[in-house]
Amino acid sequence: MEKEQSLTNEQSLELITSMISRAKNDYYDTGISALLWGVVIIFCCLATYANQYLQWPILRWIWCLVIVAVVPQIIISMREGRRRGFKTHESNMIGGIWFSYGIAIFVFSYIDSYLNIRHDVPIYLTLFGIPTFATGYGRRFRPMTLGGLACWVLAIVTLFVPDYYTLFLMASGALLAWFIPGLLLRRCYLKAKRQHV
Amino acid sequence: MFKDLNPILHSQLRLAVISLLITVKEAEFTYLREKTNATAGNLSVQINKLKEAGYIDVIKSFKDNYPQTICKITPLGVQAFEEYVKDLQAYLNIKK
Repeated sequence: MEKEQSLTNEQSLELITSMISRAKNDYYDTGISALLWGVVIIFCCLATYANQYLQWPILRWIWCLVIVAVVPQIIISMREGRRRGFKTHESNMIGGIWFSYGIAIFVFSYIDSYLNIRHDVPIYLTLFGIPTFATGYGRRFRPMTLGGLACWVLAIVTLFVPDYYTLFLMASGALLAWFIPGLLLRRCYLKAKRQHV
Repeated sequence: MFKDLNPILHSQLRLAVISLLITVKEAEFTYLREKTNATAGNLSVQINKLKEAGYIDVIKSFKDNYPQTICKITPLGVQAFEEYVKDLQAYLNIKK
C-alpha cells in the first residue's frame, strides 16, 4: 500500500472484509496465564491432599504460592498488552471481571481462615466458574465456557463426596477451567505465530 | 440517484486503517503499519487526513522512553464508515 490508489467498489468491499478478518485473527491469547493458574491450583490441591498423609509443616503454607503467582501474572499481562499493539472493546471488561474475581478470592480466603469454614471447596469452585465462564462466553471460546460450567457441576458434586476427595475435585476444576483451555490457547497461539513468520 | 462515495474513505490505505480501527478499541501506529504493509511516512500522511476529517483521534505519548502513537476511531468516523458501507452495498446491489 505505497501509493494512494483509487478503488473499485468490489475492491473496497474486499479490502474492508480482509482488514476486519486480519484484526479478528489477532485476538489470540498466548494461553500462559491460564496454564500458570491451572498448574498452580492443581499443584496446591494435590500437595494439600498429600499432606493429609505426610503431615509436613511446610506444606501447610503451600497456598501462599497463589499469592506468589500474582507477580508473574502481572508481568505476563503487561508483556502481552505491550506486544499486542491494540486493545479490543471487550478487553477492559474481561480484565475487570478477572480483577474483581481476584479480589473476591482473596476476601473469601480471609473470611475462610477467620471463620475456619469446613466445607470451603464448593465455594471456591463456584467462584472459579464465574470469570472462566464469562471469558469463554464473551470470547466465544467453548473449552473455557465448558470449563466454567464444569466448575459449577463439581461444586455440587463436592457435597456428596467425603471431605478428603474434595481437593481432587478442586484440582479437576482447575484442570478443566484453566489447564486444558490454556493448552488449547497455547497451541492456537503458536500455530498463528508460525504462520506469521 | 446514487450518492458519491465518501472521498476521504474511498482510498486504499485510509479505508484499510478505518476498517482495522472499527474492529478494535484502539491501536498503536506500529500495529496499523504491520497490518496494512504501508510505509511509516505514507501511513502517517493518511492518518493525518483521517484526523483532520475528525474520523479518528490520535494520541501521542511516550512509553518506555519511546514515542507511541495510538489511534482510535471517533463516533463521526463510525458513522462515516457505516454510511460508506451502505452506499457501497447500494452500488453493488444495482450492479447485480
